[in-house]
Amino acid sequence: MSATALPQISARRRRTDKVMRGLVLAATIVALIPLILIIYYLIHKGLSAWTQSGFFTTDPTGSFFGSPGGIRSAILGSLEIVALATVISIPIGIGVALYLTEYGKEGWFANTVRYFVDVMTGVPSIMFGLFVYIVLVVGRFGGSGFAAWKGAVAISLLMLPIVIRSSEVVLLLVPSSLREAALALGAQRWRVVFRVVLPTAGPGLLTGSLLAIARGMGETAPLLFTVSTAFGLTFSLNQQMNTMPFLIYNDITSPRAALQTIAWGTALTLVVVVLILNLVARFIASRSRMA
Amino acid sequence: MEASATSVTGGRSALERSPAGRLPDRVLKWGLSALAALILILIIYFFIRLVGQSGHVFSTYGISFVFGNDWDVSRSIYHGGALLFGTIVTSIIALIIGVPIAVATAVFITELCPRRLRGSLSIVVDLLAAVPSVVYGLWGVFVLAPRLLPAEKWFASTFSFIPWIGGGIPTLYNYFIAGLILAIMILPIVSAISREVIATVPSENKEAALALGATRWEMIGMAVIPYSRSGIIGGAMLGMGRAIGETIAVVLVIGSAPKIGSHLFAQGYTLAAVIANEFGEATGIHTSALFAAGLVLFVLTLIVNMIARWFITRGSHGTRGTGATGMTIASGPAGEK
Amino acid sequence: MKPRPIALIATALVSALVVAACGSSNSSTSSAGGGAASSSSTSSGGSSSSSGSGTINGAGSTLAAPIYQQWGSTLKGQGLTVNFNPVGSGAGQTQLASATVDFAGSDPSLKPSDKSKMKGPVLQFPVAAGAITVSYNLSGVKSGLKLDGPTVAKIFQGTIKTWNDPAIKTLNPGISLPSTNITVVHRSDSSGTTQGFTTWLSDVDPAWKSSVGEGKDVQWPTGTGGKGNSGVAAVVKQTAGAIGYVEQAYALENGFTYAAIKNSAGSYVLPTIPNTSAAFLGIKVPPDLGISTINSSNPGAYPIVSQTFLDAYKDPCKDGGTNSGTAAALKKFLTYAFGAGQQTLGAGSNQLPYAPVPSALADKDNTQLATMVCNGSPIS
Repeated sequence: MSATALPQISARRRRTDKVMRGLVLAATIVALIPLILIIYYLIHKGLSAWTQSGFFTTDPTGSFFGSPGGIRSAILGSLEIVALATVISIPIGIGVALYLTEYGKEGWFANTVRYFVDVMTGVPSIMFGLFVYIVLVVGRFGGSGFAAWKGAVAISLLMLPIVIRSSEVVLLLVPSSLREAALALGAQRWRVVFRVVLPTAGPGLLTGSLLAIARGMGETAPLLFTVSTAFGLTFSLNQQMNTMPFLIYNDITSPRAALQTIAWGTALTLVVVVLILNLVARFIASRSRMA
Repeated sequence: MEASATSVTGGRSALERSPAGRLPDRVLKWGLSALAALILILIIYFFIRLVGQSGHVFSTYGISFVFGNDWDVSRSIYHGGALLFGTIVTSIIALIIGVPIAVATAVFITELCPRRLRGSLSIVVDLLAAVPSVVYGLWGVFVLAPRLLPAEKWFASTFSFIPWIGGGIPTLYNYFIAGLILAIMILPIVSAISREVIATVPSENKEAALALGATRWEMIGMAVIPYSRSGIIGGAMLGMGRAIGETIAVVLVIGSAPKIGSHLFAQGYTLAAVIANEFGEATGIHTSALFAAGLVLFVLTLIVNMIARWFITRGSHGTRGTGATGMTIASGPAGEK
Repeated sequence: MKPRPIALIATALVSALVVAACGSSNSSTSSAGGGAASSSSTSSGGSSSSSGSGTINGAGSTLAAPIYQQWGSTLKGQGLTVNFNPVGSGAGQTQLASATVDFAGSDPSLKPSDKSKMKGPVLQFPVAAGAITVSYNLSGVKSGLKLDGPTVAKIFQGTIKTWNDPAIKTLNPGISLPSTNITVVHRSDSSGTTQGFTTWLSDVDPAWKSSVGEGKDVQWPTGTGGKGNSGVAAVVKQTAGAIGYVEQAYALENGFTYAAIKNSAGSYVLPTIPNTSAAFLGIKVPPDLGISTINSSNPGAYPIVSQTFLDAYKDPCKDGGTNSGTAAALKKFLTYAFGAGQQTLGAGSNQLPYAPVPSALADKDNTQLATMVCNGSPIS
């Protein structure tokens, strides 16, 4: 049954093949080790924080003695800031992507915008924080120094290029035959955009947006000089606010074992939220690809 | 389908649409154009402010700000050479460790692994990108740095004959630890792009190699790697771009010493880390110096990213980049840069 | 056929419209809210303030951070929110100068050059003093290793490299010292603790003064950097053979072992609360209350004691950009700080391990507080 007519592969070549395939497999396993270790430590150290009473329902006390409190204000603060950043960046981002694919196309203006958006993806995230600091924080814009909404602006600056790039890719995938068919039937451009292009690209846009949100959620650097920090819970976006990444960042260097445990618990919470966003995004992407 | 159904009800041809009927079209067109213009203005304003803020330090030090080696806040002297050195060294360490593993992972997933494992394995590797960088920092500070210190000490004394690598006394936080964490952080992006590129290798090429009696490995070596080489290099450069700009994970494990370390396991500093650490307390020329550090960092990332894109476009063999690669480049790891 | 994606897009568009409306008017709505909350005061400088008048923000000294955070925790029950971000004394002063915070915590007193950077006259209030311990991580060696200024200086200059160096042995007959390498740990950020430590070293060791000098940020000849008191503590904790300077509260929290330091009277003194408090005795109090408790002449005093100040604008409304409500909250906080707050400091088991200011100095704090105004008029 086996191809006896073919010349035998020499033992040396077969050995090389085996060894190299083994090495590639080994490298893949090595690649997975960090993830496994990180997840192990997050669960191992984070769960003991989760099981502390009031971890999710109380705010950090800041008290030198006794319980360091929970992380409620950090979770809600992160959600508030990222929600605002989403509300700013997603519509603008999709709008710009629509301009690029539907109107600008390959014109000089569209290509300039494209180029600058590309450049923006390469800007280290801390620079957005500095930018917002000099533009909004120093001048006490809106009557506050550090404020949650200023952090949201910094985060949205970081999310914008991600949303624009991924939306453009998805919008380009909408077959032009669909647009042409609708236009040929006499549909106006804006109806084509809203009734044909956007619905078709919907799942892809959602995927890109969710990935951008997940990214914004985990960012620390843009918050350092825009939101600063707080212990208590506040819903006023014009105030300093607690956030999960900042809480972890501050607690990492704490020598207090209790605060380090809080940092691990917060990290576990943050990773769970970000992973869920990622998995949902991938799920939507894979379903729409199959459809 | 439904779109056409609704729009036809007007019964007019597109050529003779009344001005009022065309209003929404115009609003949309000009609205979106305005949005695009707004983005452009915003980005340009961003750079004007950035350059404006760093002007002070560049007019004082000129180019020696970038390459000079003396960063001393107490004497108000700002030459960022040691920071540039740290940034480049840590990202090169990240490349040396991360890229071979990432490429091997990509080869395994696309060529060797059983088909039904493929999807889930790629998702697992991609998940590394979803871990926020502050979490990498947390893990680095409490797990990696203290656990690896004995191994680093052994390594440094055993290989003391290798210049710069061995010989020194490792500190808890150092270039190597920072580079190692960066390697983990760039792994998913390099791997994802390599996968994309390897997937574009025409199956005829691979089948031809196999038909000639090549083993799997020989096929990979003859058909897959040469074909996707420039794409992989592009992916590696893109990973380097990320490593250069990474702030929070690095600032926690680099040791924050603004001097050129004498060995691999010495503490150092990077451009991004110095901004995060010192910006809060900076006034006057110090602030300007940090903005200038940001500018240098940005120019560096820009160059690296452009090289990366050039390689990737060249490597995609005229297909103008697959959609998924575009998505990967755009979204990138969830960790911050 | 595909109603769901359409619904999604619709949602996206609705939010787009919301943002188009909100995005442009974001600042105006927020300032309008602030204006409504504080309609009684029209603050100059064009900024009406954040609506929550019961919130004050501070930043700065990591040495004093446990104090402010503990006080904030206590005052929360009284409806006053105090946020304190421990970014270091230098950063605290910078943030006060840019009026992004309502008060700064700073260990060094304000120099004329610091004051000139501020937007207006600034009041500094001595709040407490903390001992800066020379802590070490050396298995088998308990607290109380005797060190004098020149020896500490040589260790931090890197000229004494191992723990069994003759210089350390001579000071500590009878203690068996290992040959472990010394790892020096210092602050990587601008810090009042560094200022206190290097001021003392410069006072007691001329070689240090000429080579490294004193400052919030100095060029360290050797060692590992840590961010904040907590960062240094964390590195000391994780490195065998490490030595670092950390504030006492952080040293106690970690169960560190620390040295007995030779003071100006020639005796070796441990950083206990009574020895720290002793540093306040016999010091000069200048009119701007810019005291220094470093290297006190009192024979019972621990030599490396850093005072810590709370800095705030004399007119927080005019210069600090806040409104009368926040100014009142700030005054309430300061009144607590120099009154009931001082009771929380001391050697007791439920007290923070800092030396409270002597009552005569607290009186001066309160006298100075009475001069604080909002747009020129007294704060109610």
